[in-house]
Amino acid sequence: MTDQWALVATGLVKDFGSKRAVDGVDIRVPTGSIYGVLGPNGAGKTTTLRMLLGIIDPDSGHRELLGTTRPRTVSERVGYLPEERGLYSNMKTREAIAFMGALRGLPWAEGRKRAEVLLENAGLGHATRDKIKKLSKGMSQFVQLLGSIVHQPEFIVLDEPFSGLDPVNQGRLEKLILEQRDRGATVLFSTHIMAHAERLCDRLAIIAGGKLRYEGSVDEARATLPMQAHYTPRDNDPALAALLPADAVRENGSWRFPVPDSGMEAMLGTLLESGHGIAGLSIERPSLHDVFVALVGEKTVEEMEADLVREIAA
Amino acid sequence: MTRYLRQAAVIARRDFLATVGTPAFIMFLLAPLFMLVFATVGGSGARMIADSGNQARRLVVIADAGYAERITAADRRIRGAFPVGVAPPRVDIRAPQGDIAIQARAVFSESTVDASAVLFGGPDAPRIQFAAGGRTGASYLLILAEDAARAADSGLEPGATLVSIQPEPIARVHATIGGRQSLGFTVLFVLFLLTLLLAGQTVSVLAEEKGNKVIEILAAAVPLEAVFLGKLIGLFGVALTFIAFWGTIAMLGFSQLPADAGAVSALRPAIGLGTFLGLAVIYFAMGYLLLGAVFLAVGAQANSMREIQMLSLPITFFQMGMFGLASAAAARPGSTLAMVAELFPFSSPFAMAARGASDPALWPHIAAIAWQLLWVAIVIAVGARWFRKGVLKSGPSFFRRIGAALHGKPV
Repeated sequence: MTDQWALVATGLVKDFGSKRAVDGVDIRVPTGSIYGVLGPNGAGKTTTLRMLLGIIDPDSGHRELLGTTRPRTVSERVGYLPEERGLYSNMKTREAIAFMGALRGLPWAEGRKRAEVLLENAGLGHATRDKIKKLSKGMSQFVQLLGSIVHQPEFIVLDEPFSGLDPVNQGRLEKLILEQRDRGATVLFSTHIMAHAERLCDRLAIIAGGKLRYEGSVDEARATLPMQAHYTPRDNDPALAALLPADAVRENGSWRFPVPDSGMEAMLGTLLESGHGIAGLSIERPSLHDVFVALVGEKTVEEMEADLVREIAA
Repeated sequence: MTRYLRQAAVIARRDFLATVGTPAFIMFLLAPLFMLVFATVGGSGARMIADSGNQARRLVVIADAGYAERITAADRRIRGAFPVGVAPPRVDIRAPQGDIAIQARAVFSESTVDASAVLFGGPDAPRIQFAAGGRTGASYLLILAEDAARAADSGLEPGATLVSIQPEPIARVHATIGGRQSLGFTVLFVLFLLTLLLAGQTVSVLAEEKGNKVIEILAAAVPLEAVFLGKLIGLFGVALTFIAFWGTIAMLGFSQLPADAGAVSALRPAIGLGTFLGLAVIYFAMGYLLLGAVFLAVGAQANSMREIQMLSLPITFFQMGMFGLASAAAARPGSTLAMVAELFPFSSPFAMAARGASDPALWPHIAAIAWQLLWVAIVIAVGARWFRKGVLKSGPSFFRRIGAALHGKPV
């Protein structure tokens, strides 16, 4: 591994009893990038992250974090926000952040100073001396996030960081992630919300059912699917379907289909000649959502969307 | 290693401050005082009830003035031989009135006192009668009558004594064998109580982190072995704070006693008081670390307070077993049983602490401390490993790892 890669993992496998939670996952995270691990609930994202950090050992496979195959030896250069949020409720906010820094080797006094700055920048300066139990859920989640970066780690792992945050705090978190990347840190986060990954990630892995479905850049992911055409005819003649590709899908008054390998020119000519006309036409790159649907299936995506609705409602 | 200890120190600092810096710790620290107050109040109540009954009890002597004076003199001398609390009931002297036998019988029917025995008939024809429960009182009256008769036969004037001796107090240079055994048992009991109270706390210490999910942060940031050691050290600090508080109070209390007070003269362990106290502290540390490490590792296997409560019972039984073994050893110094208790790692600190009271040799303690330190290291190493498995609840089992290693497979 060179300095080009902050993390390289190949063939990670983890079994819990008879259940295989992770089945041969490969991940390569470029240094200084933002990397996303996407997948539905129960896909094996958290188990993968825990293996990458050395919290648990894989049953087989290879991992190399910041140049070492023993991730725990570089724990002071790593920041981690676990999926299950946890803080000592009787600790004061500033102390909680300093404590997490101290665990990673940051002197207490320096940790307190940095905590004050971080809290101020995050708009939580008023809560510096409040006890954790007095904070709202979103605020305490943000405090924990600040605790995971107070020691200015080179590699930051955030497990479902957007979960439980309102839109305002989600925006703050996106900004914070970008700031960390600009500082030179490598950020890896897991999520089941496509929009965040699409906006932030340079590279990503898609995991479902414990297996890796895709690993590469976001652009490469989109390139795995053809460009999508959205065509709106002037009439509503059902016979039009015969002139379109077989996999064209009708959406209200429009049709959606992948752009044919031969291009659109011949098809458009036929449509004009047959009198259907062109009321609207757009050619778009496929979204990450499209890629995800193609990789994990419509049913899984519907389940994820239902989970998301439930989460927002909660 | 430095990094490992520094990480353990961060955990220890958090646990120490989180425990000591709470109002609940004041209650915990003063718990022995509350127990003492309750025991005193309860004891006083019981004693008041007992005293009110004792005050009404009487031994009655019906005698003329001369005989009564001899009986009173005998009572004054002989009563001094009885320890406080077991002295016979007060002796009432009554002048003879009419039929003495009827007068004596009437004493048992009096409503103002509870007479248990009566002496009447004078020195020439003494008689003693007693009611149910009055046999001991009757025996005491018999002794008084015999003493009065001897004094009369010797021609002594009433109130004079046959021999005149002034008892002289002498300070013992060495404590008695029984005293040393008692001291040994006392120290053993105190150490047991302290470990029961303090080491038992470690069982539930991880429940907080498991409940608030901080364990994941700790597990990611530092080796779980450092978490284990940090928690053990943090709570050991709490235990030392507790002991320092009460130790200081006890020392202040002892310093106020006169040098020749009984309590002070009894504190003469064979090995010397200073060494004995030093060893007691060291053995407490050993006992705490040994038992605390086991309890901490066992507690890490529990996922709920209910499971912890279930684990607490066998743990208490285990501690009681160690106390029983060490107590038996203290009662029979030099016996095979004592040697077993001194060698068995979990009873060794208690048994050796008791041994210091009756055996002046220092080398067995040096050997025992080295032996216990070895076991502390073993227990902490094994406990930390077990703790890690209990916390993470994942990874191949110990046997599966061995199997994989034998087959040359990665684990």
